[in-house]
Amino acid sequence: MEEKEFQISPFLAFYLVHSVQLGVGVFGFQRTIMKSAGNDAWIAVIGGGIAVSIIIWVMYLLLNKHQKDLIQIHRDLFGKWIGGFLSLIWIIYWLMIGIVVLRSYIEIVQVWLFPMINIIMFSIILLVLVYYCVTGGFQIVTGISFLGVVIPFYIFFTFLYPIEYTHFRNLLPIWNHSLKDVTISTKDMMLGYLGFSTLLIYYPYIKHPKKSQKWAHLGNLLTGVIYLFILIISIGFFSENQINRHTWPTLSLWKIVELPFVERFEYIGITSWVLIILPNICISVWASAKGVHTIFNIKPQKVVVVSVVILLILLGSTIAIEGRENIEKLNKYMSLLGLWLVFVYIPLLTLLSFLLSKIRRRNIEKA
Amino acid sequence: MKKWRNRRSLFKDKESEIGSPKNTEKDDSLGDLLKQLTLSNDFTQFTYHVNETSLCIGYYTPLIDTEILHRDILPYLKKWESFSSLSSVLPIEEVILTADAATIQENLLKGYIFIFDVNNLKQVCLVKAGVERTRQVSLPEVEFSVVGPKESFVEALDTNINLVRKRLPMPELTIKEMIIGKLSKTRVSVLYIEGIANKENVNTVIQRLSDLDFDQIMDSSYITQLIQDNQNSPFPQLIDTERPDRIASELGEGKVAILVDGAPHGLIGPTTIFEFFYAFEDYYLNWAVASFFRLVRFFAVLFSILVTPLYVAVLTYHYELIPKDLVSTLVTSRSAIPLPPILEAIILELAIELLREAGARLPTKVGQTIGIVGGIVIGTASVEAGLTSNVLLIIVALAALASFTTPVYQMGNTIRLIRFPFLLMAHYLGLIGVAVSFCFLLIHLLRLSSLGRPFLEPFYPVRVQDLKDSLIRLPFSMQSKRPIQEQTEDTMRFNPKKAKEKHDSKRI
Repeated sequence: MEEKEFQISPFLAFYLVHSVQLGVGVFGFQRTIMKSAGNDAWIAVIGGGIAVSIIIWVMYLLLNKHQKDLIQIHRDLFGKWIGGFLSLIWIIYWLMIGIVVLRSYIEIVQVWLFPMINIIMFSIILLVLVYYCVTGGFQIVTGISFLGVVIPFYIFFTFLYPIEYTHFRNLLPIWNHSLKDVTISTKDMMLGYLGFSTLLIYYPYIKHPKKSQKWAHLGNLLTGVIYLFILIISIGFFSENQINRHTWPTLSLWKIVELPFVERFEYIGITSWVLIILPNICISVWASAKGVHTIFNIKPQKVVVVSVVILLILLGSTIAIEGRENIEKLNKYMSLLGLWLVFVYIPLLTLLSFLLSKIRRRNIEKA
Repeated sequence: MKKWRNRRSLFKDKESEIGSPKNTEKDDSLGDLLKQLTLSNDFTQFTYHVNETSLCIGYYTPLIDTEILHRDILPYLKKWESFSSLSSVLPIEEVILTADAATIQENLLKGYIFIFDVNNLKQVCLVKAGVERTRQVSLPEVEFSVVGPKESFVEALDTNINLVRKRLPMPELTIKEMIIGKLSKTRVSVLYIEGIANKENVNTVIQRLSDLDFDQIMDSSYITQLIQDNQNSPFPQLIDTERPDRIASELGEGKVAILVDGAPHGLIGPTTIFEFFYAFEDYYLNWAVASFFRLVRFFAVLFSILVTPLYVAVLTYHYELIPKDLVSTLVTSRSAIPLPPILEAIILELAIELLREAGARLPTKVGQTIGIVGGIVIGTASVEAGLTSNVLLIIVALAALASFTTPVYQMGNTIRLIRFPFLLMAHYLGLIGVAVSFCFLLIHLLRLSSLGRPFLEPFYPVRVQDLKDSLIRLPFSMQSKRPIQEQTEDTMRFNPKKAKEKHDSKRI
């Protein structure tokens, strides 16, 4: 457990879980999941949400038992070397989340706002922002994730504008796709939900962590509700063929919004999204930095060095990845790694931890 | 915070070692002291003959009240018998008998008169005859209010404490005084209410003050800059007020106040950013009216920071954001202007800053004229000359006006300053630039603290209870608890049930 000074209230887990899940995925998730499930894609959103909730429950089983973060659990169960190696995989995964979010956002800015933008300068500016946040400590990261949910929340009300032009009959007939299609679509949907695994590392920073489980589930629920809301409006607004032609259907939805003083509302949307992706990157960078600290036993005073190194890695990869195809590829690998880690590794680890403790206890009783 | 304290105390130790031996060497004997004193022309020294003994009397002429000397000291010296009986003869309560040169020197500078027998240098009598010349208590000029008390602090510490104490007639109001400043020897008082104020807050303030090592404290704003948590932030982290009613009320909420001798302002901490947008008049108006004005003020600040950058961003990069009808207005006003929006905006913003600065430096009457002349003539002329557009002129003037709505002067300055980084970022990255600067601002505010308490409270960390007196002010009957921010020892201000009761018979 961390010192009380640095801990946060349990209800903030709601914002931490929700803000890391919701990111650039919202702009383009419709096309990916409707590719296989069509108008039944909403089932995939609900299915994905439930699956994630189950995993959150499993995570809490594991964390409540150990009262430690993932890195220390690894060390306890597998020893220094193997445990460290497994932790390193997780850190790479969290870093990848940061890279994916940053790169995808820059791509959207490039396509919609500034085609000639200097990617290096722009990423440096964003990363300086992240650096300023992360070096402030976990409380500041939590703060930005709280404000990143509360301040831009108005943006979701703008999705009410397209309702005038929607045909909800597009949702019918329900269940005209096979179970296999819906499962594939659920798997594709997972990318939108990933990131909540950072819970494994900030768990010791929560005051009365057991109480936070409810909030974590609620945070996940809000993510699900927002995805579902946008998806249903998109299904009603576009036809299936149309959606296939839009890379970012959400941004196209905004074109309908009309206010007396503003047109092209998607510009405002993309701009406000800075505040939504910022917690995303901050949490993932903080989680990796914290992980590196624990694995290599680095003193907390060296936080500057570690964050700078991590941010340089982020910067390097952001500049190196060019073009739509590569970004899609990165997305794919990241979500694949995420799926394996979250849905296979975590339950296995929990099972193993319970078995091991049982065996150890039996050994003690025998002795 | 710990680091901060260590740094301060280290600093202090080193300095005091260097400073102290010099002083003791200089005045080791009375003779040397006298020699040193007579070097200054405003030091008066004469001999006075009483019953065959000659007494030497000396003082700094500007520091003492000659009337006291003539009326209450010289006549009574005739009845003088022995040196030790002086204190019972003189009708003055503060008479010190000493032989220590350092004490004599120190007290002379506080307005004491020394008297000693020429033949006996072993005992010196010090009599208090100081005079304090300050101005009368007058109207508050920075935080003027239409309703409510119109007293403001003056430059004398004792008068200021009197203004506070008469509003809080209770023995629990505790005052801790200390002397800060190697040269200025300024008296600084820390005020708090025992049993309400959090001990930790009080100790933090006292510790930071006593660890200070500085030569001259000329005003309370020196103290703010020296003891606030982040000294590099443009945001002040202690509230600066000239209203004794505000200090008294915030002391009652459990805060700690600092009064400095020679400063017509008091400091209050711990505070939050939202308190910088409270005018104390808010508490003198009905809660609905007060809440409305608070919201107006808050949106004025947001408007003031964001509007010019948004103009620059939109006109540099995002023309398509503006609807057709509005664009024609903008285009006609900008069609003759050769400058890019950023230069246009910077020229006008700087012009307004010039006007403000000139107005602030000049005497009131000239200042007003300059304001009007500058505002009307320069504004119209620059539009006619085609240097700036009408629309921007309106926007910049409104933004400047909005920045003046903040009741605390220091915060108004900060707001005008942080507009410029926003402008530059808007020019570089358009709307995204504005959003990025806004995020910087948010993170900066998140990182700030006031006496170790979060600066963005009650929004982060969320404290629903404190929201009742933040952006809006709910009725007094709902304010029965002290803010959580202060972590007070006694959390209840009054009994909420009793406050709502009315004992008059109901009329139909």
